[in-house]
Amino acid sequence: MSAVAAKPQAGGAMNPTAMAVGVVMLVIILALCWYVSPGAGLMALVGVIIGGVLIGFGTHFVPVGGAPAAMGQAPGIATGVAMLAAGAGLAGLFGGAWAAEQGLVIATLTGGVGGGLMMAITCMMVNFVYVFGMGIPAASGKVANDPITGDSQKEFKSQGTEGHGLPFVSFVGGVIGGFLGGAGGTLIYYQLLKLYEATLPTMIGVPLVQVMPIAIAAAGMFAVGLFLVNAVLTAYNITGTIEGPHDPKFKRWPRAIVASAVASALCGLVAILIVVPM
Amino acid sequence: MSVKIEVIEGGIPHQKIMIGGLVSTLVCLYLTYLNVLTKTEMFAFFGGLAMITALIWGSHTIKVLCSYGIGTGVPSAGMIAFGSGVIAMLLATKFAPVMGIPTAPIVALVLAAVIGFILGYISNNILNMKIPAMVQALTEMAVVGALSLMGFAALITGGFSFAGLTPIKIVVTSQGLVPTSQYSFLGGGLIAVAFLLGAIAIQHPFNACLGPGWKQDRMLMLTAECGFLSMIVAAFMSFAFISTGSAMISLLVAILGWAYTYNQYICLSKRDAASWLDAKPIPEMEGH
Amino acid sequence: MEQIVFGIGITALTGALATIAGSAEDTESNIGSQGDPNSQVQLAPQMGFVHRIFNKAIAGEPPAYGLWCALGAGLAWAFMAMQVNAVLAIVIGCVLAVLVQGVYATTAYLGRTASLAKFGQPVYVDVLKSMTSVTMAHAFIAIFCVVTLCHLINGALGHPFPLPLLGLIWGIALGAAGSATGNPYYGKERQYQNQKFGAGVPISASGNIVRYAEAGERNSLDNGWFTAKIGGSASGVCFGLIVFLELWRTILFEKVSAGWGAIVVGILMILIFTVADRYIEVWARKNYGPYTEAKEASS
Repeated sequence: MSAVAAKPQAGGAMNPTAMAVGVVMLVIILALCWYVSPGAGLMALVGVIIGGVLIGFGTHFVPVGGAPAAMGQAPGIATGVAMLAAGAGLAGLFGGAWAAEQGLVIATLTGGVGGGLMMAITCMMVNFVYVFGMGIPAASGKVANDPITGDSQKEFKSQGTEGHGLPFVSFVGGVIGGFLGGAGGTLIYYQLLKLYEATLPTMIGVPLVQVMPIAIAAAGMFAVGLFLVNAVLTAYNITGTIEGPHDPKFKRWPRAIVASAVASALCGLVAILIVVPM
Repeated sequence: MSVKIEVIEGGIPHQKIMIGGLVSTLVCLYLTYLNVLTKTEMFAFFGGLAMITALIWGSHTIKVLCSYGIGTGVPSAGMIAFGSGVIAMLLATKFAPVMGIPTAPIVALVLAAVIGFILGYISNNILNMKIPAMVQALTEMAVVGALSLMGFAALITGGFSFAGLTPIKIVVTSQGLVPTSQYSFLGGGLIAVAFLLGAIAIQHPFNACLGPGWKQDRMLMLTAECGFLSMIVAAFMSFAFISTGSAMISLLVAILGWAYTYNQYICLSKRDAASWLDAKPIPEMEGH
Repeated sequence: MEQIVFGIGITALTGALATIAGSAEDTESNIGSQGDPNSQVQLAPQMGFVHRIFNKAIAGEPPAYGLWCALGAGLAWAFMAMQVNAVLAIVIGCVLAVLVQGVYATTAYLGRTASLAKFGQPVYVDVLKSMTSVTMAHAFIAIFCVVTLCHLINGALGHPFPLPLLGLIWGIALGAAGSATGNPYYGKERQYQNQKFGAGVPISASGNIVRYAEAGERNSLDNGWFTAKIGGSASGVCFGLIVFLELWRTILFEKVSAGWGAIVVGILMILIFTVADRYIEVWARKNYGPYTEAKEASS
């Protein structure tokens, strides 16, 4: 018994027709939003789309090794890519939400720095455990020399493995991924929050201070939901593991940009329709 | 070296489970509407039953999807299901009843199906995953996500209207009596708990019964057990929203259901296990 | 000024709670064998290596801990909404959450092991009985610390998110940090103890995990002692640093230059950790040396 109908390898191939259909869907959704809620709604949707794309793109940078990494057989972090990216991004969202009243730029950057900081600490501790706890130096399996530091990798790869630990380029990739994810999540949260703050009081008919909890919780929940959707789509794109920005799989990112844009646009439109009077 | 996922034949066909799950979920959701008609909250437990039937359907969908070896883990499927479902569900709660019949569950169904279909199209075509069952599976899972979250909402607050999820209550604070929506299902963030409860419960049965000895009845029994377990804790949370008596009914139904399904699951595991040993050493296998 | 001192005090407390939570989380996930290393526990019987190790397959650590912490926080929130005292609410909420965790652990073990019947892997009821209570105990510590720190962040530091949402966020972050730091240590050092130290596990050895150990047959309970050697502390420090530095830079610097202060300090911190990581990497290369000569190395 084997997996049903051995599916053709996903590979890095791009499907131009599907990408075109995706772009068309994106335009349709934007048009729909402009129709029901030009102005605040459309701006919020654009923000959500950009945030979603940042999350999807950023997750490509995060080095994830999956089950082999847990045995020192592959470089990267030994966790699932969607949840690791979600963890970093949500830590960033936490910081960004706190800074929300200080404006869009500050909030987004704070969220990004929060996510990047979490990944920096985590990646450093991963290398710490590999080096001081297991006696294994970091080595990449996909490149002969580290693109940033120039260190040669081959002779530091133990026999029978694909590499292990986090070479410097993977570390930098992780930080960038955390930064983009945190920034994207905060951007989604911020845009939806501002929209809800502006429209919920009129919709429910009470002063803003009474509906703030709803606005915050709904915007936060949507940010989490969109985060997970985009991260999982990226996980599908890279089929589970990636070493970092130097990995050949990284070249698949254009597909993820379109995919994240359409998915975020769709979910964002639904989130906006909640406050549009029907 | 990852776990091999294999397709096992036999058991109830997926179409039957899908239709059965969909119909029972919708019926149970509509039964919670009795709360509005009878002006009580006694029928909130139907929301929990709706959630359980939706999860049973959804866990089988995950099994169908993951049998194709999607190259990444099973939990991701649960996350994308509920990530898309939560957004559809919240919009659907806004739709008021038409001629006395609530439309929210049907709207949630249609909306989630559209979102799931598009996500499936994206995954299969733009991301080139090319898995035959992907589009249908993601559509079904988004619907399951939306409907089970609606079930949670009905269980905890007694209904699934937007107003019911976001009531303004007067609370005593240091500034005196202050009206706030902080103590509502949505305002208090309980939707996040429902989200994760459902997302883990939908993928756990297939993930836990994974292996060459997978059996459909054991997996579905485990889904029911996870559902009732989630219903127990959700019933505890409902004490803050609905009357104590109604919450007690939900809790009782949940505990009885959980005890039965858990016991059945252990019996089925005993039936399927190679051996059921207590404090015995590792058996000798030739060559190892 | 007093506001900042109060904030710093709370931040220090949350940092300490986070450190304990991280350590307990890693210990718990190693005792129960959860996450990516668990694929080896699943694989071993298929390669003929029957074992007595607990097989707790409940998703990965991030979503699982996201659920336990969100659940604990949600229940605590509900009890607090019913005017129950905050401490009691958190305790009861965490107890209920840990009961859910225990049930999930038992069903995971039974399910996975029953599905391996073809390879002769028995269900060991005594493993189930002894391990479940221990994982629940460690999980309780982790969940309680996270829910408490969320309550402090929401109540004392004034974060806008409600308690359950904070529980979700920090639960997932805890799982991600603990899993990233602790998994390779458990996977390589403990499960493949019999492989050469200082090198990764060769692919040919997959499935051949250690099953006979110090005192007879390997028992997952001893993974607790093992994790305490470095993995648990490393995970604790990791998560503790994450929570503490995130809160610290916000409390102290968010008012400086209208928010830019916190951002600049954050970037500085990232640079410091980058330097530290680079130092560790170079130290390893210099001290451990290559496995083979640079010229002879084959890919």
